Amino acid sequence: RYVRQLQRLQLLFSPTAADARGAREFVEEAAQDFARQHPDVVLYVSPHSGPGPAPVLRAEYLNGTVRDELIASKTSEEIVQLATKLANQSGLDIIRIRKPFHTDNPSVQGQWHPLTNKPSILTVQGPRLQPQ
Amino acid sequence: MVVLSAARWVRSRLSDRFWRVQEVLKHARHFRGRKNRCYRLAVRSVRRAFVRSTKARREKKRFLRELWITRIEAASLEHGLKYPAFISNLLKSQVELNRKVLADLAIYEPKTFKSLAALAQRRRQEGFLAALGDGKEPEGIFSRIVHHH
Repeated sequence: RYVRQLQRLQLLFSPTAADARGAREFVEEAAQDFARQHPDVVLYVSPHSGPGPAPVLRAEYLNGTVRDELIASKTSEEIVQLATKLANQSGLDIIRIRKPFHTDNPSVQGQWHPLTNKPSILTVQGPRLQPQ
Repeated sequence: MVVLSAARWVRSRLSDRFWRVQEVLKHARHFRGRKNRCYRLAVRSVRRAFVRSTKARREKKRFLRELWITRIEAASLEHGLKYPAFISNLLKSQVELNRKVLADLAIYEPKTFKSLAALAQRRRQEGFLAALGDGKEPEGIFSRIVHHH
């Protein structure tokens, strides 16, 4: 069954700042619908009064990664899209994947070494012959 | 008093020059010499590095194919077959494995590769018999072709 990797979304913004207007509109209108559509994500709204750092949407995932997204001067719809994008992601780092495959047991018959196709007289040690 | 044009000595000045410079320098951190510290030199080196990395994507395919062919050649020589004979006889026996898979088999599954080499050798002998015999002998078993419709 599908387990959503997003644990919680924290909306940190200041209610008086000018660039947090989209965040305020999101909280007033769309936050409840978003919370209802994603029941396994906890949405925290923490307004801090007075001038502070830029409004940020903080996403925490089940594997511990914390991702901050700036929502300064964004409209409410853009914040909804951003939140759904974060909700559909997993917490893995967003870097280039070197190989699209991985195995813990790459070899079933035993990996090749320089003595695989040589006659076994070179590797096998028989019982030591006693001097007659 | 309404000012319709800004006074000529007022210029808009950059405030985030540091971050714009860091965006370029972060791609140059593993370079050698002053290119990893000085912005003027780093800009040129970073641009050339990106251009080379896009062009190298086409070369990478050629390089890897060459690598696989070398490995398959080495493995088939261990079993007494040369690479062109191995590949052509495998294709004639309708074993359509690509070079990447054959190279991985040669490394991680040596017994499977040995059996593939034996198959290619058998098909080769049957091919010789069919070409040189040209008589009433029946066709070889491994020379039969399966038609998928």
